[in-house]
This record gives sequence, C-alpha cells and structure tokens, in this order.
Amino acid sequence: MELIHLENVKKDYVIGEVKVPALKGINLSINAGRFISFVGPSGSGKTTLLNLIGCLDKPTEGKVFVTGVEVNKMDRKISAKFRGDHIGFIFQNFNLIPVLTVYENIEYPLIMVQNIPLEKRKQKINDLLAKVGMTQQRNKYPAQLSGGQKQRVAVARALVTEPKLVLADEPTANLDHDTAYKVIGLMHEMKKEFNTTFIFATHDSKIVGEAEVLYTMEDGLIIKVQENKRNGEAN
Amino acid sequence: MINIIKIAWRNLLRYTRRSLLTSFMIAAGVTLVIIFSGVGNSFKNEIVGVITNSNVGDIQIHKKGYVGSIDNLPLDIAFSGNGLKRIEGLLDSNPEIKSYSERIRFGAMASNFAQTTNMRLTAVYPEKESQTCPALVKRIKEGDANPDTFVKPGSVVIPQNIATGMNLKVGNDIVLIATNKDGSVNGMTFKISGISENIMGPQGKDGYIHIKDAQSLLRIEDGEITEIALKLHNFDKLSKTYAALKNELMQIQKEKTGKPSFEIHTWEELVPFSTIAKIITLLIMVVRVVLFFIVLISILNVMMMSVYERIGEIGTIASIGTLPSKILALFLTEGVTLGFFSAIGGNLAGIVILMIINAAKFNFRFGDARTEFILAPQIPITEISLSIVFVVVISVLASLQPALKASRMEPVEALRHV
Repeated sequence: MELIHLENVKKDYVIGEVKVPALKGINLSINAGRFISFVGPSGSGKTTLLNLIGCLDKPTEGKVFVTGVEVNKMDRKISAKFRGDHIGFIFQNFNLIPVLTVYENIEYPLIMVQNIPLEKRKQKINDLLAKVGMTQQRNKYPAQLSGGQKQRVAVARALVTEPKLVLADEPTANLDHDTAYKVIGLMHEMKKEFNTTFIFATHDSKIVGEAEVLYTMEDGLIIKVQENKRNGEAN
Repeated sequence: MINIIKIAWRNLLRYTRRSLLTSFMIAAGVTLVIIFSGVGNSFKNEIVGVITNSNVGDIQIHKKGYVGSIDNLPLDIAFSGNGLKRIEGLLDSNPEIKSYSERIRFGAMASNFAQTTNMRLTAVYPEKESQTCPALVKRIKEGDANPDTFVKPGSVVIPQNIATGMNLKVGNDIVLIATNKDGSVNGMTFKISGISENIMGPQGKDGYIHIKDAQSLLRIEDGEITEIALKLHNFDKLSKTYAALKNELMQIQKEKTGKPSFEIHTWEELVPFSTIAKIITLLIMVVRVVLFFIVLISILNVMMMSVYERIGEIGTIASIGTLPSKILALFLTEGVTLGFFSAIGGNLAGIVILMIINAAKFNFRFGDARTEFILAPQIPITEISLSIVFVVVISVLASLQPALKASRMEPVEALRHV
C-alpha cells in the first residue's frame, strides 16, 4: 500500500534576492511499513524532502501525497492536526520538552494533540516505556538523561500516537556508536511491532546499513535508489 | 486546561530568577495600589465623616438661589409656610433619611461690651441638629456638650478663637446684634454655654444658638428657615437618594413662574474638601495607571524573552501536531499565571501592611486642633478584587502579542532556529 507519493516536487528558498533551488523535481513513492533512508552530503535536499513529507513545509511546485491526502494544500491548522494524527518526528537534538518528565514528554502528544483519555494514556505510555527500556527513568527530566536515553524517549514520543509514518532527521548524529546501534535496533523493533514506516535523513553509515531502501541525493535530486536485500524488499 | 496550566507553571519556574523578579515588580505595584487605596480612602472617609457629621450633613436643601449667595447668608431666600411643610413631608416619608435639621444661618456682631467682632451663626433645634450632625457636640471643648441641650434658649456656643480673642469664658454674657430681613437691627444678650473648635482647629467664626432665639433676634414670625441639613441611614446611597430627592423637589414648582422653588446639594458641592477628596481619588487612579504600565511592560518583556528563547521548542511542539490555538493558550496562560499569582502576592502584602497600620493606630491632627483623626485604613475589598481582575486583563493583553507570535511560527523555521 502506497503511503507517500511525490510528483515533480520542487522547492526553492529565497535568500536575500537569490533563489536557491533545494529540490529540483522529485518523483517518489514509498509503501507503508518500510525502513527508508535518504543519504547525501549536506545541502543535497534530504531535510527539505523530510520537511515536505512531514507537512512542515510546502513545495514551490509539485504535489505531495501522504496516506493519499494531498498535504501541500492544507492550511496550518489542518496540517498540524494531520501531523498529530499520522506522523511522528525524531530529531537530531532529541527536542524533548525540558519542563516535562520522561513520562510527561511521551504523554504530551496524547493530551495536547489527540486528547486520549487518562486510562488509555497510562497503558500506552507504560507499554512504550517498557519497550524503550525507560520505565525506571519515567520521572526524570530530560536534563537528567544521557543522549541515548533522550533519543529513546523521543522514539517513544514519536510512536505513542501510533503514527503511520515516523520521520527522523539525523537521529543518531549526537549519539555514540553503541547507543546509536541500540536506538536503530529499537526503531527496527518498533517498525515490526507497529508496522510503522520510518524515513531517515542521515549521513550515518549505521543507519544506511540498516535501511531497506536507500535513496542517495545530490543537488536536490535523487541520483540513486538502492535496495538492501538483507533488510527487506525494495520499493 | 490543567495540563496547559501545569506546563505554563513549570515554564515560569524554569526561569526562576526572572519570574520572581517580574513577579516582585508586579506584586510591589499591586501592594502600592492597595496601601494607597486603603490609606487614601481612610483619610478621605475620615475627613468626609467629620465634615458631614459635625457641620454640613450629607445633603442640604435651600430655597432656590440661596447657595449662589451663601457668603452673604441671605435671610430673604428662605423656606416658609406650605413649601416648608411639603419638604418636611417629603423628608419624613423617605426611608433613606435618618434625620434632618432645620437651620437659620445668619451673620451677626458679637460684643463683650468692650470689643465687637463678626460671627457666623447657625440657629438650630439642638436635638435635631445632634441627630443630623452627631459629631458636632464633640467639637464643644468647654461647657455643655449634651446632644439634646447644647444650645438652650438664651445661650450661645461660640468658636474657640473668638473666645480666646475676646477673653470670653463659659458663663459670660455677650450681645449678638443682627440685621433683620427688613433691614432693621436688633440685639439680644446671650450666655455662653459652650466653646467649640472648628474641624481644622481653633479657627473659623461659627457659633450656634437655639432656633427660637434666632426667630426673636431676627424678628421672624412665620417660622421661616434658610437651610435643611439631611443625614442618611447609608452614606453609600448618597447619589441615589440625592437624585430621588432632587426629582421629587423639582416637582414642587413656583406657582407663578413654573420654575423649581428649591435647590438641593450634596456635601461635595458645598465643601472645598470635596476637591481634595477628588484629588485623592485621582491619585489612586494615577497609581493604578502606574501599575498598568508596570504589569504591561514586565509581562510583555518576560513573555517576549520567553518566546524568543523557546523558538526551537515551539517548533517541536508545533511539528508534533500542537494546534496554533493551543500554543497561543500555552503562552497566554504563562503570562496570566505570572500576573495572577503576582497580584495575589501583592494583595497579601498590601493587606498585611494595612493591618500593621491599623494595629499601630497612627493619629494625625490639623494644626492645633485637639480632634485627632485616626488613620484606620479598611481592607479595600473592591480594590483587591479589581486589582486582580485588572492585572489578569493586562497580563492577557501583554502576553497576547508574544503568544500570537509563537502560535503563528512556521514549525520548519522554528526548528531551524538555533
């Protein structure tokens, strides 16, 4: 089942009076339940592409479909609701809310975005805390956690709403080798458990090695698509 | 909403020093308003109470044109006959009026047989005057201060400075000479029954005699009076009662001209102190305006900094699906929470300080007056409620711009912010 479909997507940034093309015409289809990685040098357009798929930005030209919905036509409010319902985000710098505990950070999207009742919330969060191995740290604040622990919480927060799609921009960039592998392993497990599509933008060879499909980008274009048969079937 | 308040509260605690400093500024402003309001109103009420209770009454009624000529104390602009009866009927039937006192006010020469000076005399029925101006007898510092008998027929209460200047004592005789309405002059001998001080000390030239003596001295035969002073049961209903009475009095027209026959004034229109009272009210307003700017600038500053410092965080919560309206609510709640708790703190501090002032019983007096005024500020409940509402409303206004800015941020741009 097709989850994401991009048709001739272009994105230009205007810096001063200069127009800088970030994406130069991307055509792409990604099925549900995949583990996808976009790789390429800085400035190749990986993050821009993730932002468009994640409804955080709008293309200058072209169409972006997520779950069959043309997301580039949504206004800010509908776009926010769509993200809350269908997309999870994992960031390079973890981006946890510093005034909330581990438990409350995971709880945040359920309260502020999806308005899930208390009992159901508790159950979901406790399950996820156990899955990401953070039950013991549930009452700690982000400042009291290591980088790996923070990213585990971020993974739990991204998955707690049971999104169809999780977008992760350089999720292991601030983690050491062992921790990065653990986090990737965790995401793999989550993908299997929830049939969630994970899309990464990364330089990290660890993630590259784990991806089922690898899209290599350069100068705003996808220049190569590789499937990793060890990890799954290519799209 | 509870979660929004929880997050707002924690964000305030996140920058403890800044929040405390801002809160302290707002609280100090609120405290200032509460103290100023409590003390200012106490001072105002104390003086107004003394003025209305010892001399002026709450409301006065005169024949039309009297107040315009009040410096001359005219005898020819007076109530008499049916007009007086109709007014007394109105006053007797009005449940808001506690008492009223008929007066004849006139100027006279006072002589101790060696010296002569001018005096301003108010002729009254002592028992009615004491009910209308209950503090009057407290000003009688020597002699008979009985509320029902402080001026008996044949006696006079003279002001302290005339007594001192003319070397007069209680029991001495003086002659009062007055010009009658028809222009003739008459004189009568009176025994000094009391010596009174003015509200503001031993000044003024106001004396009191019995109304029957005034009628004899002024050769008034048909029961004319020049003034009616009124005391209300509830001073707070002054404006309402005044308006109702005025309306009723205006119905009584001069038969020939069809114009109103009487005029009615509240104490404020008759006493210069009302200007000072208005200045006190104005000063309280000024302090409120200062508070307005303290709250506005403090909260605006804190919320702008808060939004600027948390752009990345705003990007995060927006990207995970928080609606713009909830981001707006988060920041508004933060500002309002800061304002609300600061206002509560400021009010508590203000109440404690007012209680200390009350317990200390600060007294003050004017000039050499022996009457002491006690500074007894009441806890201004209305002002307290108003200040909380006021601060919360300004907090909303001050937080609105930063909160709108936060809610309108594009998540992708906010996430890029370092």
